[in-house]
Amino acid sequence: MASSPDEFSEPDDLDERERTALETLCKRLADDEFVLAERYTEWQVRAPTLESDLALANNAQDELGHARLWYDVLGDLGFGERELVYERDPDDFRHSTLVERPFEDGNWADPVLRSYLYDVAEELRLEALADSSYPKIADRVEKIQSEESYHREHAQNWLERLADDEESRERLQTTLDELFAHALTLFEPCAPPRGANEASGDKPRAVDPGVEADIVDLGLRTATLEELGEEWLSIVVPYLESLDLAVPIDGDGDDGFEVTAAALPDERGRDGTHTDAWAELYDEFTRTYRELGRDEPTAIMDAPE
Amino acid sequence: MSSDIQDQDSDLDIDPDPDPDADLDPDAETGATPCAYTDYRAGKAADDLPATGAEATGLESAVWDALYEIEDPEMPISIVDLGLIYGVSVDDEDGVATVDMTLTYSGCPARDMLTEEVEEVVVAVDGVEEATLRLVWSPEWTVEFVTERGKDDLREFGLSV
Repeated sequence: MASSPDEFSEPDDLDERERTALETLCKRLADDEFVLAERYTEWQVRAPTLESDLALANNAQDELGHARLWYDVLGDLGFGERELVYERDPDDFRHSTLVERPFEDGNWADPVLRSYLYDVAEELRLEALADSSYPKIADRVEKIQSEESYHREHAQNWLERLADDEESRERLQTTLDELFAHALTLFEPCAPPRGANEASGDKPRAVDPGVEADIVDLGLRTATLEELGEEWLSIVVPYLESLDLAVPIDGDGDDGFEVTAAALPDERGRDGTHTDAWAELYDEFTRTYRELGRDEPTAIMDAPE
Repeated sequence: MSSDIQDQDSDLDIDPDPDPDADLDPDAETGATPCAYTDYRAGKAADDLPATGAEATGLESAVWDALYEIEDPEMPISIVDLGLIYGVSVDDEDGVATVDMTLTYSGCPARDMLTEEVEEVVVAVDGVEEATLRLVWSPEWTVEFVTERGKDDLREFGLSV
């Protein structure tokens, strides 16, 4: 039965199509935030100034908080932190490969540029979630927006400083050449959750465009991935060009930019394929959980009698 | 941090899209205010918030009293006066108490500590059989939700609110 945007079911009455759409959307949102935060923390004692140490640490804390907010929504489908993070199959994560890429030691241009590319995309997608048909999604948007507003500004301030120096700008250009294709995967369709249907991530690249269409048709998000991607390009390309950087994309501002298959990396994250860096990162952030032999992620001691 | 109140008071005027070509003086080379902070004062007030339980009676009133005893982990202020509690309802039939609560910051590392404390304190109220805590995020918490008594507490603690 087709649902219109304003009649998305109550959490207890979701049909299969609604469950899959909700799970797919929340995982792509939460996984992006969580994995990006894991990477940011690598910088928190290595950034070039104490203030930028603090800024990166703070941005990481923000993103972890937002990951938790999105994972919490999946509590409606019976998922807890254990299944969603520490005991989850790494192949089931649906984050963009942009956020999993490793940092080259000392290349400060990378977290700055990555943050800019990501935070512009995040602003756009939050706008497209503000009127979500799922109240728990819509209710979170304002909170997250208010905590995000400084991320993009921080990134742009640093981009402009770096672009002002020839050596730094060359480093930015090299980093942009490496990261841009991965940033495009922010707008790629997801494979459904594992086991959801034949197109699930059990088979790599088994993307089911129907799920992405459902996310919009059911009103969970009010813009398509294509619309978000085009809007993102219309912002980031002219801005980066204004810093004398060459953006590796076909097309121009008048006719719009075109994302071709050739512009995308082999691994796209969303479809369940990941770069090698992901396996290492996953191993790292689950290590303590595994070594402690924990079966509960958060309770430090038994509740008092 | 479960509370993220800032102790400054000014209006920032940040250019969201600083002109990279502008000929800026060295102090303003980034085109933005350094050390920007969140001005919670800009938040909008909600009609029925802060909720303080002033009108509550019976078991609900007892739950509010219990909640008043819980302090924020970082500052000597009750979580009710801080404006974190958005609502309390108790079903007199089955003794199920439902508390709607928010946090000042999504990345609050004391979240579990605080929500568990609330559940324990509420379920310990005479007549309450079960406590359900619902974390809510809308409307977004702002400093406008701090009660007058809470503001006094914060001022005594050294914050200017």
